[in-house]
Amino acid sequence: MSGGAQYVVAAYAVIWFLVLAYVVVLGARTARVGRQVEAITRMLDRREGREGDDAAGGAD
Amino acid sequence: MPGERAALIWGVVATILVVISTIGVFLVAPEDADQGVIQRIFYFHVAIAIASLVAFAVACVAGILYLRTRNARWDDVGEASIRIGLLFSVLVVITGSIWAKASWGTWWVWTDPRLVTYLIVVLIYAAYFVLRSSAEDDRRMRYSAIYAIAGFASVPLSFYSVRVAESFVHPVVFTGSGANMPGSMLIWFVVSQAAMIALFIALLEVDLVGRRSERALRRLALRLENA
Repeated sequence: MSGGAQYVVAAYAVIWFLVLAYVVVLGARTARVGRQVEAITRMLDRREGREGDDAAGGAD
Repeated sequence: MPGERAALIWGVVATILVVISTIGVFLVAPEDADQGVIQRIFYFHVAIAIASLVAFAVACVAGILYLRTRNARWDDVGEASIRIGLLFSVLVVITGSIWAKASWGTWWVWTDPRLVTYLIVVLIYAAYFVLRSSAEDDRRMRYSAIYAIAGFASVPLSFYSVRVAESFVHPVVFTGSGANMPGSMLIWFVVSQAAMIALFIALLEVDLVGRRSERALRRLALRLENA
């Protein structure tokens, strides 16, 4: 590349690399929220299962 | 949810504008007679600089609204805006240094008021996160809001420094009499500027959706533990 084109490419690459890195960080946070939702769902499932067992035990 | 829809719409708008501006800047805009191809850094460098100042202005307004309403949503808007503004500011410093190396033969000029005052702005907003980590809950939101308002005073300092300083090497393209460039270049700068503002709004909306989800999850987890 001549006439300073490599500087333009470098500047443009830096911009989109850092913006993409920021989007990846935001995506990682979204993934963490998703894992927390799954954990809460499992906790609710266990609780409902226990309540179901208790109800069945009471009927016996 | 309206927040998610806004994030999606702004994400699509930002992507379209970024693609159009990239094509325009590299394939359509005329080459500068003085600087040649290096001048093409200008379209993104200046557009991101202005978008960063817009982000800090949004944080300042969010700070005022938080102090008036004590609504944590404005604290979220303020922090997210400063985070994105700081990202953009770092990009401005890096692309500016690359442009300086290509144009002036040096990465940084300590005697130039625009470069130094902009670096001061970056450091002021970086300190915002140090302040946030030093306080908790309501105090953190209150201190952050006050700092975001006070910190915004540094923005005009950077903006006008190059106009009032006697000697400088940093060029001034936009003056009181208008833009110092032909219309065929100005149109692509306007598109690039719109792309960067749309990118800021899209990142802000995505950030706010994530924060709202985290807060709702924390509340839900707390209620389940207490139930």
